[in-house]
Amino acid sequence: MAGRRVLITGVGSHVGSLLAQRLERDPDVEHVAGLDTRGPKVDLDRTEYIRADIRDPEIGRLIPATEVDTIVHEQIVRQPGPRMSPPAMHDVNVIGTLQLLAACERVPTLRTIVVRGSAGIYGAEPHAPQFFREEMAQLFPQRTRFQRDVAEIENYFETYARRHPGVSCTMLRYQPAIGPGLRTQITRYLSQPVCPTYMGFDPRIQLVDIEDALEALVAAVRNPVRGAVNVAGPGTIGLGRMIRLAGRRALPIASPLFGAVTSAGQQLGLDSQSEDFQRLLRYGRGVDTRRLTDEVGYTPRHSTAQAVETWAHRARAAA
Amino acid sequence: MGAPGEGRGVNSATAIAFMRRLRAGLDSGLELPDAISRGATALPRDARETLNRIVDRMEGDYTEDEWGFDEEFTELVEPFFAFLYETWWRVKVEGAERVPAHGRALLTANHAGILPWDATMISLALLREHPLPRNPRFLVLNWAFDLPWVSSGMRKVGGAVASPFNAMRLLEQDHLVAVFPEGVKGTGKPYSERYRLQRFGRGGFVEIALRTGAPIVPVAVVGSEEIYPKLADLPWVARLIGAPYFPVTPTFPLLGPLGVIPLPSKWRIEFLDPIETASYGPEAAEDRTLVLELSERVRDQIQQALYANLVKRGPAFI
Repeated sequence: MAGRRVLITGVGSHVGSLLAQRLERDPDVEHVAGLDTRGPKVDLDRTEYIRADIRDPEIGRLIPATEVDTIVHEQIVRQPGPRMSPPAMHDVNVIGTLQLLAACERVPTLRTIVVRGSAGIYGAEPHAPQFFREEMAQLFPQRTRFQRDVAEIENYFETYARRHPGVSCTMLRYQPAIGPGLRTQITRYLSQPVCPTYMGFDPRIQLVDIEDALEALVAAVRNPVRGAVNVAGPGTIGLGRMIRLAGRRALPIASPLFGAVTSAGQQLGLDSQSEDFQRLLRYGRGVDTRRLTDEVGYTPRHSTAQAVETWAHRARAAA
Repeated sequence: MGAPGEGRGVNSATAIAFMRRLRAGLDSGLELPDAISRGATALPRDARETLNRIVDRMEGDYTEDEWGFDEEFTELVEPFFAFLYETWWRVKVEGAERVPAHGRALLTANHAGILPWDATMISLALLREHPLPRNPRFLVLNWAFDLPWVSSGMRKVGGAVASPFNAMRLLEQDHLVAVFPEGVKGTGKPYSERYRLQRFGRGGFVEIALRTGAPIVPVAVVGSEEIYPKLADLPWVARLIGAPYFPVTPTFPLLGPLGVIPLPSKWRIEFLDPIETASYGPEAAEDRTLVLELSERVRDQIQQALYANLVKRGPAFI
């Protein structure tokens, strides 16, 4: 266990930076390296920062030079930001993964890969079981671009894991994360003056608190298991109740008009929602986290409702 | 409770006093929920309590479990279902005490009607007649969860998508789960075939019971199959809206939305003796012969109970 050497891709993201900070403090971790085009968001003491684009074949030379035994793949874009087109997001997600795996072939010391994937692979379906288990990824057709991206990424890692039995590959499937300082679709949605909802629908939403999100990554680095593991806070919360806890008003829109109204709202400066997120707002999604508790050995501490309350409390205090 | 002369309902004088205080509150710059609670001081106590609960709900101050079941909401809508239970359908219950008072159990009933009224009446029967009342969860036909309001309402009173994974997880959490193995074949049967049980799928409910060791409690519901007498089916309309069938009843689609009002038939619900499954062990779920045999036994018992209760009930509507 002692003397681990860890590389984090996407170290410039919020979660990536916090993870680097968290691993720096861990006495068992000898060396931390971080790869990204953007610098880390927090001050790091002993992290070796590598400025490189994950899509660049150059990483095939840079990564082996670090001689790491663990790679945490954190650079998966969940929604294109303002300066990123959807094709560019697809590029980072899929081509980035391919380049990373090509580089992994040249790291003989590699023993563990942990991927911060997404529960988005399950989609959001009206007829879905209320808690997806890890083996249910193929239950429904893939409907959105992001869902297809995630499925493709998982497929690459599965193939890699099959060909390299000595490397254990953990695919963590995260529900959307929420927490102070984190800017994701869910926090942007809850920061709007009114939150558009589908009229007559009150889906069950399940989130993961940023603290639990980090600790689950650390737990997977310490105790890697093979295959997919769901990561989410215990319990779910109705969308209506979530909006009220955040101190916002819901704006119910009849389902056939939802797309038109929200894209008109976008012209007025309101936030836009990705296709995935719209389906989530309509049908919701819950995942079963028994594997995380039993096999990885981490039990999330904050329920979805608590995570929303903590976030809303901090957001109000900051305002 | 209450002073003499003070009615349980809200009379017009108290309503005006309430509105006056509400407006005064809003004028003095209070937020709506605060203004409502201030106005509520003008109301009699029970109305005030109800109103305060609604205000708490407006601020997100309520709980729901991981299935979206909301006990407080269930209590708030109870008077409506109580009216259906007592006055509209005049439900008579037999054998409620046969349902296990604690631990997991699988209630298995016949199914009819487009909306799961029968599930809500089984719930109410257990809440009222069982010595230790408990809220059962029920599995509802999938397509109901794509309908606005129906989907959220159903979940709040204890419904879940009819998926074996849901049934297993609910039973593992020691809930009381109601299933309708006839499924869509049961809800879509024509009026002339009422109370003739359809095939019980592939016996999936028995597999679930065996795997979780939950006893199966057969339930016969008489009355539910007359509330929407389906005279004909328009399959092309059903295809158009994505429903499994489009029924024509005496009131639907003739009266439009009013056709959703169920007819006031007389109901009887009988709970039969539980069938033990734990002794077979979870591996027995793989045993096809046993599964089909148990499934057939449950179906047979319900069918017999249905005929017996039809005779006991007499005429359907009076």
